[in-house]
Amino acid sequence: MSFWDKITKIDRRIIFVVILLSVVFPLLFNFMLPNKITKEVADTYNFIESLPEGSVVVFSFDHDAATVPEMRPMGTALLDHVFSRGLKVVGMAFRAEGVTLGNKIFQDVAAKYGMIEGEDFVMLGFRPEITSGVLGLCENVSRLYPKDYRGIELSEIPLMQRVHSYRDIALVISVSDDDTPVIWVNYANARYQVPIVPAITAVMATTFYPFLQEKQIVGMVPGLKGAAEYEQLIRKPGDASVGMSAQSISHLVIILFVIVGNIGYFMAKKQRKNF
Amino acid sequence: MELLGIWIAAILTLAVYSFLYKDNPFYKFAEHLLVGLSVGFLIVIAFNDTVVPKIFDPLFVKGNMLTLIPVVLGLLMFARFSKQLTWLSRPALALYIGFGAGASIPANMQSYILAQIKATISPFAELASVGDIINAVIVLIGLATILIYFYFSKKHEGAFGIAAKTGIYILMIFFGATFGFTVMARISLLIGRVSFLMKDWLHLMS
Repeated sequence: MSFWDKITKIDRRIIFVVILLSVVFPLLFNFMLPNKITKEVADTYNFIESLPEGSVVVFSFDHDAATVPEMRPMGTALLDHVFSRGLKVVGMAFRAEGVTLGNKIFQDVAAKYGMIEGEDFVMLGFRPEITSGVLGLCENVSRLYPKDYRGIELSEIPLMQRVHSYRDIALVISVSDDDTPVIWVNYANARYQVPIVPAITAVMATTFYPFLQEKQIVGMVPGLKGAAEYEQLIRKPGDASVGMSAQSISHLVIILFVIVGNIGYFMAKKQRKNF
Repeated sequence: MELLGIWIAAILTLAVYSFLYKDNPFYKFAEHLLVGLSVGFLIVIAFNDTVVPKIFDPLFVKGNMLTLIPVVLGLLMFARFSKQLTWLSRPALALYIGFGAGASIPANMQSYILAQIKATISPFAELASVGDIINAVIVLIGLATILIYFYFSKKHEGAFGIAAKTGIYILMIFFGATFGFTVMARISLLIGRVSFLMKDWLHLMS
């Protein structure tokens, strides 16, 4: 077997180990690389900045535990900004695990700002069938969620006395690992002109760029990079900022493997042709 | 208790990643545990957050008998498990499909077609900046050539063939961008787990 043939047949386990090391070292040595802020993330920040104090922002946690490393930093950064601006927050989930995962972020960030559950924020809970859920919010929130996740009637929650439908909601942030925010765009934005921000996994980013063009979404926070940019904007570097250096180094390693693999492929092909 | 949770999470993380070496019983155990826990969790949350407030409370606490209509329709869906009774599920299914199609067709038309057509044309109509118009021209070329590529009633040759080929290249750029984002997402998950192992379990990171 020639050298180039060997290059094209590197054991995939060697590649896994190299990728692992490219993630471990930047984390271990706290290696930081610059991260440019993109327009869609800056637009999200500016929109939240423009909201009057006391406005209500809905956080919809539509993701599973599997994507927490991506979703938690962006949910935390966005919620931190929202609370720092004195905005009120209503949480909900159209995925079962979203309630617990979202509520953990609520409790952690709310404790930092001394926010009171029921007055400054509330977690309503889980509902299946997102289309009817998003449509149901246009009429009466309490018909969709008669109680919050703790089992308290909405009529007994102070914050919910002034949140009845989309008319009382200034922004919806869908923290999602799939195309759930499309449903928010289709129904809440197209019909009721509710501003939407998808905070999504990087995999889903290309799905939402067309919506930015027609301003069907006010901005977006895609993946760990989007979360790191948001942490920069609010000047609170967190898990995403630390993770981005590992992200960049591992991308360089992958690009290197792709280049070497391609050179190996073409050189091996050329050698076979010459023989 | 928290320490125990960290150790369990760390061992399960290693068990899942052991699959990268080769399939093994530790990976199988972690996989089955995840599936079982997820289903159990979903059932509990669905019962507490949906069945109790949307069915039990209205029926047995508030005495709202109208709740029986969606409950009966929902129960009829289970008739599909019996060959003799499957017809009973059709009215409920028809209602569900009717609602789904009625709600989604106009919404999708608006979001995916009308709004996108407007976004493609508006920079030209609004006499936007030079940069916006250049972007709009690229989008227009992409849109037209990809539509030509998916038009199969005419042979892809001559000018039509060149346009179709341009469409393929633009699609390739899209697939490349999507794949790049996918790699980023997967690496993010790895970073999350490695951070957890190094910070919470091994205390190697501050």
